Amino acid sequence: MNRYWIYALWGAVLAMLIALGLSAGPFVLYLAMRVMILAIFALGYNLLLGRTGLLSFGHAAFYAAGAYGLSLATIHISPHPLLGIFLGVAAAAFLALIIGFFCVRHTEIYFAMLTLAFGMMVFSLMWNARSVTGGDDGLYGITRTAISLGILKIPIYKEYQYYFVVLFFFLLSIFLIYRIYRSPFGLVLAGIRENHVRAEFAGLPVKAYRLGAFVVSGAFAGLAGTLAVLLESNITPFASHWSRSAEPVLVSLIGGLQTFTGPLVGSIVFVVLREVVERFTHNWMFWFGVILLAIIMGFRGGIVGSTAEIVKRYSRV
Amino acid sequence: MSETLLDVRKLNKAFGMVTAAKNLDFTFQRGVLTSVIGPNGAGKSTLINLLSGHLAPDSGEVWFQGRDITHEPVYRRVKQGLCRSFQVVNVFSNLTLFENVAIPVLAVRGKAHTLLKPVTAHKEVQADVERVLDRVGLSEQAHMPARALSHGDQRLLEVAIALAAKPRLLFLDEPTAGMNPVERTKILGNIRQVAGTGDVTFVIVEHDMDVVFSLSDRVIALHRGEIIADGTPEEIKMNPHVREVYLGEEVRI
Repeated sequence: MNRYWIYALWGAVLAMLIALGLSAGPFVLYLAMRVMILAIFALGYNLLLGRTGLLSFGHAAFYAAGAYGLSLATIHISPHPLLGIFLGVAAAAFLALIIGFFCVRHTEIYFAMLTLAFGMMVFSLMWNARSVTGGDDGLYGITRTAISLGILKIPIYKEYQYYFVVLFFFLLSIFLIYRIYRSPFGLVLAGIRENHVRAEFAGLPVKAYRLGAFVVSGAFAGLAGTLAVLLESNITPFASHWSRSAEPVLVSLIGGLQTFTGPLVGSIVFVVLREVVERFTHNWMFWFGVILLAIIMGFRGGIVGSTAEIVKRYSRV
Repeated sequence: MSETLLDVRKLNKAFGMVTAAKNLDFTFQRGVLTSVIGPNGAGKSTLINLLSGHLAPDSGEVWFQGRDITHEPVYRRVKQGLCRSFQVVNVFSNLTLFENVAIPVLAVRGKAHTLLKPVTAHKEVQADVERVLDRVGLSEQAHMPARALSHGDQRLLEVAIALAAKPRLLFLDEPTAGMNPVERTKILGNIRQVAGTGDVTFVIVEHDMDVVFSLSDRVIALHRGEIIADGTPEEIKMNPHVREVYLGEEVRI
């Protein structure tokens, strides 16, 4: 596709998102924010899965670390949202550093199982450390106080106000992750996915780079967690449950592992589809599974990957 | 005039009952193109694996440019200038040729961890990559994925990746395996030309005796993990022990 078309497309999407924030009702705004938050989670996650070739089943732990980090900061330190977001992301990155240190020594199924095991440990810690995390009740009543920047005070309490905060971090994440994809670091990660022995013989400490990817993806998971807790105003240990870790995996698969925009499209499909299916039936999981199967088996390379393939084929003829 | 690049001291390696390296003790000098020959199972590949850090020796030491690297990980050896290519095609298949070569260039230039600046913004990296691709004659295909290349060109790319890491000493593990005569001539020309500049000292493991005797300054013959002969190509050709070992092998010396 032509470069200008791509700019135009991004411009149109941005204009649409801003128009949405200015005009849509609370429910649509809520859904849009859920999509964006999930997209941040999945975009970061796909840096690890699609780019580096590591399948993690423990990223809910970092999502929860972000969410609990922000909540605890709000309760004990200051309710300033930016401080909470900063501390939440830092907590998630730090946790990812510790867990990743042990996990990146292994690959494939062993890596996946280790991340799963660590994820379960984090879940059980959050469940049991009642005095800090509130146990199974979680932490609640996290309100969105105004963002004060010196003399400027930006209220974010209302849905449409907070929408622009989420939009800002959503765009920031897209920008950062896009830059990472095109950077030497991103190229090295792709090299490690393709052939980690060769990467080592190209002069790269492969484990350190895997850990780097793990921490970066963990930090974005944490960012998603902080934004989610501000949206929902509460957090329970289930945020760190391993079933939550499956979400970015599915989202990346739906959209396309080997594409940059795959997780974006996947997030829209995931959230909207679930919302629609839930309207019609109580056992939404069954129908959701059926639809997922169809997408994953019917669209090899995900929705974005296979669409790009089709476009390429037709534009060549 | 000769300067010792690699110094191998009493190197031993056994896999169970099989001895793959027995008391190996030798040096590689700068600028001396050495070939390692020997029948299958002689321990040639093990030797490369031991020296490049892929395998750890049971005992013995490896010194590179006056430094003990016996326990250094692979990537550190590469950064010091000790590289290798592989017997089978071992490239980044789904990446373009440019990217394939850019990875080692970024690694040795210490730019690989740069997070937010695009690869293309590093002009000196780009220049390096183009020079390496140009050297092996693959610059036309720079933006093709590696898997789209012919087998012979993939082997060339393999050598290009190894060269991109700016090695002082480069092991080539059967560089002509599976190549057609045209490709073979091309890669041998490349090796000769690069060796001629004096920047890179090659150590080649080869089955093809034509290649060995036309390229090498020195030949080491291995048998069951031991050095049975070490000398100029002429000396090796005349060596009765080598002839005995090779008797019945596919090669006639």
